[in-house]
Amino acid sequence: MKKFILAFIAAYIFLFVWGWLLNGVLLKDVYAETPNLWRPQSEMMSLFHWILLGQALIVFAFVMIYVSGFAGGGVIAGVRLGILLEIAAIGMRLGFYAVQPIPGKLLLYGSMSGLIEMIIVGAIVGAIYKPAATQTP
Amino acid sequence: MNWTRFFIAFIAAFIFLFVFGFLWYGTLMQGAHHEVPTLLRPEADFKSYFGWLILGHIVMAFFFTLLCARYVPTGCPGAGALLGTLVGLVYAGPHLISFAVQPLTAKIVSGWIVGAVIQFAVAGAIIGAIYKPGARKTT
Repeated sequence: MKKFILAFIAAYIFLFVWGWLLNGVLLKDVYAETPNLWRPQSEMMSLFHWILLGQALIVFAFVMIYVSGFAGGGVIAGVRLGILLEIAAIGMRLGFYAVQPIPGKLLLYGSMSGLIEMIIVGAIVGAIYKPAATQTP
Repeated sequence: MNWTRFFIAFIAAFIFLFVFGFLWYGTLMQGAHHEVPTLLRPEADFKSYFGWLILGHIVMAFFFTLLCARYVPTGCPGAGALLGTLVGLVYAGPHLISFAVQPLTAKIVSGWIVGAVIQFAVAGAIIGAIYKPGARKTT
């Protein structure tokens, strides 16, 4: 349980910082090209807790999947899980791209960064979480 | 890896994901989606992007099937449904984030989240029921 919480917190901190750096700084100008698709800044800030909750849900469910089916494989298993989950998510993004007027480059940058993000999340979780069976002889 | 079973499971998952998506997001939630017309492509525009929707579902079904095959190597509908539920929750997270940054209604986001969890839970159960690595005898 302790390792689960540690893995969750470490991955959450990474996801939060990465999300802020990518969406709040690096891609700021790309988002500005389609203002009609986004809430005004002040409105986003008033709904900021939903971002925190959404990121917590992603990390919690990721760690749960790792713990219940991939634990013991270490960093490699975590990275593998991150890749599989994110490529499936790219499929979902393609679906959104078909129905929402999102710029193609946002889809591309979002998918590339999402893949890097989930690889790192997987590596963090895999490095921290060790199943109890491998801890006791 | 039993590739024959894998391929059958992938096709079944693709069909289910696509049909469920059409019924849930495209039919049941159609009214809710029309509350935010600026966030949607116009009908004619959508038709020209339909190929992306199909490609997206193929990618989603293929990699989700691969994930199930690795997660539940022995094949089991219950374990597949559990994995699907967790995957649905992973994808529900970005929906909550979208609610904070896009002018979506609470009804739409709730529908997306419930839809994602049901969609992947059932798809996981289908894959778990079909994919059986032990079905093919190997020496």
